[in-house]
Amino acid sequence: MTVQTQNGPHEAPDPLAAIGENIKACMQCGTCTGSCANSGAMDYTPRELWRMVQLGLSDEIFASKTFWLCSSCYFCTLRCPRGLPLTEAMAALKRLAIAQGKWKEKKSTKFYLTFLDNVRRYGRVREMDLMTRYFLSLKNPLTPMGFTPLGVKLMVKGKLSMQLPNLFSAGKLDALYRKVREVEGRS
Amino acid sequence: MKNKRGSALVVGAGISGMRSALDLAEEGYRVTLIDKAPGLGGTLRQLDYQFPTDHCGMCKMLPVVERDSASQYCLRKGFFHENIDIMAATELVGIEGEPGKFQVTLRHQPTMVDPERCIGCAACVTVCPVEVPDEFNAGLTTRKAVYLPVPHNVPNHYVVDPAACSRCGECERVCPTGAIDLQLEARKAFKVLVVDDELVVRDSIKEWLEDAGFQVEMAESGVEALEKLSQGGCSLLLLDVKMPGMDGVEVLKNAREMHPDLDVVMMTAYATVETAVEAMKVGAMDYLMKPFDPEALVALVVNRYRKLLRMGEQQFEVGAIILAAGFANFDPASAPDTYGYHTFENVVTSIEYERLMSGTGPHGGKLLRPEDSQRIRKIAWLQCVGSRNLHLNADYCSSVCCMFSIKEALLAKEKSDGQVDAAIFYMDMRTFGKDFQRYRERAERDYGVRFIRSRVHSVEAGEAGCLQLRYSDIEGRMHAEDFDLVVLATGQRPPAGSDELAELCGVERTPSGFFKTEPFSFSRTAKQGIFVSGSFGGLRDISESVIQAGSAAFAASTLLHAGGGSLSRVTDDEPAYRDVTRDPPKVAAALCSCAGDLARAADFKAIAQKLEGMGLEVFLTERMCTREGLDEACRVLRESRANRVLLGACMPYVYQRKLKDLGKSIGLHPFLIEVADIRTPAFPGRGEDRARVTREIASVLSMAASRLQGIDPLPPRSVPLSRRALVVGGGIAGMTAALGIAEHGYEVDLIERSEKLGGNLHRLYRTLDGWSPQQLLEQTAAAVNKHPHISVHLEARVVHSEGQVGRFVTTLEHAGGAGETIEHGVAILATGGSEAKPQEYGYGQCDAIVTQHELEDQLQRGQVAPGDLTSVVMIQCVGSREEPRNYCSRVCCAAALKNALYLKEHNPHVEVYILYRDMMAYGFLESYYTQARRAGVVFIQYQVAAKPRVETANGAVTVTALDPLLQREIALSPDLLVLSSGIVPSNGNDELAGIFGVTVNRDGFYQEAEYKWRPVEFLREGVFACGIGHSPRSITESMAMAEAASQRALSILSRERTMGGSITAQVRHSLCSLCQLCIEACPYGARRYDAEDEVIVIDELACQGCGACAAVCPNSASVLRGYRDQQLFSMLDAALEELF
Repeated sequence: MTVQTQNGPHEAPDPLAAIGENIKACMQCGTCTGSCANSGAMDYTPRELWRMVQLGLSDEIFASKTFWLCSSCYFCTLRCPRGLPLTEAMAALKRLAIAQGKWKEKKSTKFYLTFLDNVRRYGRVREMDLMTRYFLSLKNPLTPMGFTPLGVKLMVKGKLSMQLPNLFSAGKLDALYRKVREVEGRS
Repeated sequence: MKNKRGSALVVGAGISGMRSALDLAEEGYRVTLIDKAPGLGGTLRQLDYQFPTDHCGMCKMLPVVERDSASQYCLRKGFFHENIDIMAATELVGIEGEPGKFQVTLRHQPTMVDPERCIGCAACVTVCPVEVPDEFNAGLTTRKAVYLPVPHNVPNHYVVDPAACSRCGECERVCPTGAIDLQLEARKAFKVLVVDDELVVRDSIKEWLEDAGFQVEMAESGVEALEKLSQGGCSLLLLDVKMPGMDGVEVLKNAREMHPDLDVVMMTAYATVETAVEAMKVGAMDYLMKPFDPEALVALVVNRYRKLLRMGEQQFEVGAIILAAGFANFDPASAPDTYGYHTFENVVTSIEYERLMSGTGPHGGKLLRPEDSQRIRKIAWLQCVGSRNLHLNADYCSSVCCMFSIKEALLAKEKSDGQVDAAIFYMDMRTFGKDFQRYRERAERDYGVRFIRSRVHSVEAGEAGCLQLRYSDIEGRMHAEDFDLVVLATGQRPPAGSDELAELCGVERTPSGFFKTEPFSFSRTAKQGIFVSGSFGGLRDISESVIQAGSAAFAASTLLHAGGGSLSRVTDDEPAYRDVTRDPPKVAAALCSCAGDLARAADFKAIAQKLEGMGLEVFLTERMCTREGLDEACRVLRESRANRVLLGACMPYVYQRKLKDLGKSIGLHPFLIEVADIRTPAFPGRGEDRARVTREIASVLSMAASRLQGIDPLPPRSVPLSRRALVVGGGIAGMTAALGIAEHGYEVDLIERSEKLGGNLHRLYRTLDGWSPQQLLEQTAAAVNKHPHISVHLEARVVHSEGQVGRFVTTLEHAGGAGETIEHGVAILATGGSEAKPQEYGYGQCDAIVTQHELEDQLQRGQVAPGDLTSVVMIQCVGSREEPRNYCSRVCCAAALKNALYLKEHNPHVEVYILYRDMMAYGFLESYYTQARRAGVVFIQYQVAAKPRVETANGAVTVTALDPLLQREIALSPDLLVLSSGIVPSNGNDELAGIFGVTVNRDGFYQEAEYKWRPVEFLREGVFACGIGHSPRSITESMAMAEAASQRALSILSRERTMGGSITAQVRHSLCSLCQLCIEACPYGARRYDAEDEVIVIDELACQGCGACAAVCPNSASVLRGYRDQQLFSMLDAALEELF
């Protein structure tokens, strides 16, 4: 496959520019990829992702699940010989993907969204509620089956409280969330 | 040798320090060479093998002309030169005065062992109870507190490590010659008063200091302290800042009133540091922070003690100071990511590996794992540990580690017969030096060393004592591989003590801690008279260090000369030796019985009888190594009136330097005095058989006696020299060399084939560092043109040259065809090279395809405006680093970075893509590589097997390259395609080389005498090379090389006459059949056929006395003075007689 890079200063401002700015000094040594605990599950390794950022391959980047799988362990940031804020760049990609609605990786994205919604509602995470909403959002009845053994284990250890979801409770953090959205400049 | 008035101090006696010192000494200046360590040689002491020959070769640095003024043996064992005062274990602690007239203060760290009296018997080692890691083996083995700093030094004396010594005094008691003095009494007389309100603090300090041998008194309050002080006798006060009642500062004020000279050190908790600092303004000398580190506290007290008593200090005047303090190795344990260093024993640094592999290392040269002594099967080298890392304040490449690791991997292969698997993990393999690229390919192709482009992130435990490396290859596949040994290619750092040195010299430093130098110079600092030499200036391998050391010596020499330092000092003339040429040989032997020790081991009476039987006069002396012993020997020898002298003593090397004095005292030329080693046969561990020892000693002595009896008594001749230089090539290297020599007052002829001076400088408009080559050109050319000692010959070329060092006669041909003959003593070839014309990537088919020089030119002339460009592609290594031009041109990556940064600076929107193989951003260039990345230049690595493709259509260029990371083709449509085509040597090089009897290598660059040790010299004495005619290099590098070459030339020009060596070849013309085999055999080009007189002529200055000619001559017409057949036969007889 051939990559045609977009030429020139006349293009519309690249949404990736801010991230690219932080990644420019990358010299593709591969330390991040070697360090990454999740790189095996990613479709592009972190090094490949940074290369794609340098080349401005924005569509492919947002179609990728690499940055969604970043678990923010900060190993790559710690070890990068250029001192680049790689974990932050991964997070920035997540934010950008959500903001632009450009995400493709459903599982991770839905989880992040449900998680935040849960916090907004209750000020903390309610495991049962989180799980229910997450599974509902995936719209796939088979997904919960895969988690059954884990659920049982957690229940035996008393880690899951059987609270029913409160569908009508108005979140007390609504104001906070609104403000954040306002600050971040999106609706 | 004539001595000049000027003198210099060289700080650091590693390779560069020695080179700088030798350069100045050979020129006739007096040099003091000091080193902090108790031995000479710096890092090289620990290295047995060096790239590219994979063995040592340090001795090649020794003088070639006037050989007899210096030692002529293994330089790793030690060396001397009659103009160099060597002081080991000495530091520079004070500089005052101005350039040309510095008053320096040196402090000698006592080794506590008198070298004159130490006989190396090792009795002290046996009783020493202390054991510490041995620095010589990089901590892989241990040593005692009394030890030999370098096991192979000659002469080798034990020293005491004051930091490790427990002062138990055992060694002092057992030393048979009383050579050890731990100075326990002096310390006991030094009284320290410790004032602190806490008992536990007072008690611990008392204990530590008493252990260190000091006398300690205590006081618990200020009042008590003042009372004790009033009784007197205190030398040092350790004073707590915060005490109830009278506080520290108050005590300090009162105490200073009482004893204005009292030395006070404050002790403080973190909270009151500011008070302690304030206290220093009212007279405290220093402060110590609680909680105390016992070692630091004792060290500080010892320091004050030595300072107060001004121990080992001496002051003298020098004209110039050269700093050659070397470098420190990065300590991986100090980094956040340690790579398991100090956690796993099988993780070692490059230096440790070097020791592991050495015959004098912990396993006698066998490749065994440090942890469990298992055989090593797999080794991994990790590059850039502590280099190219912004976390570690190292935005630079250490320049040497790539070649270092390849060499180590190759040696592992060689030592194991190819059995060991060697893998090098790297980011860019920086093979930027002369012949580096071919060496790398040899390692990969012929030896199977694996080169893996990947940066390993950390080292983990693997199976069966192995270490596991997890890494991602360039295509993103993950690997986990086990290795027996992991070698960390640790980078360079400024050496310990550079903070103090910088402060002392008042020289500014770079953010990474290296000394700053002036534009276009690696050796001149902003402080006049203080120069930087070798790797101390940052990140150099041996060859570059040697070149740069020459450049530093040159800078110092110029200063000394300008200050009138070249005026001959009034010294006594060459001593008048007795003329013994007509006397029959009469040998006197003085044998040392080593204070009766040797006399016990062998039967000296029998030996004496035997020698007397050969017609010798024999004297027995005692301890000839001491001054008294030697004086006594002199007295008896003077009385004997013998005309040859044989000394039987322990270490011949030691006497070599004393022979001149001895000769002067008994009126005999030193080459008629011989030293024979009679100590070795009686070494411990070689059996106690007295008859055998006697036999061996007798044999050694009678061999030497036979040699002396047959020696030719004519002293070596001195030869007159023509003190004029010829420099060929008027580029920056040639101009620098010509100016350098002319500044020293000698006439120079500068030959340039084109119509103007300047060479490549005409095509360069800026450097990466932002300096102006045009300004440099203007100034240099102006200086050359108006210099009264330089005759510039433009549009001229050399057509013929003959003669030898000191007396060349060269013919020039001018533009009109007119000839001119010049007589000169030395020649410097600086004929340079130029940018190669690319043959590939569509060059010439389209105006949009240019070279780096052309781009720079077009930018300068405004033919290309950065603002008009949207995209630029640069391709590196065009036609380079593959056969037939299989070398790195070294300047093209820097040129690409320079032009890319220029474009980005003038138009941040322009897209710049650099397609490269390995970015050769060595040394401090790395920071520009970082800058270019930050500026948004995109770097795409390509493989030789999948080179970028270029297509042109209607003046538009398309470049397609394979990105190895994404494994995808990237298509680019640049406005400009810039080709980095590298440097080719100038086309006249091989012809000129032929004229001067020197050679070029297969790429057409001048072939130096030895890549590492004699980089600016040819094997042919008196001819030197510099600039890019020798190898590709930057402007500053070329200038440094030109300075080094002129310094070598100056060592010849500085004399009116010079002495040949005492051992040189001669021809017996009556036996010579003129077959000329000897001319081919001579490795130094010292022989030639004189067609006019039909004889073989020998250049006595160039001849190094190797004897190859004598061995090859079918008629025995070629003989070696000092080694005639007759002499050797009688020596053989003497040797064999004792055995049969």
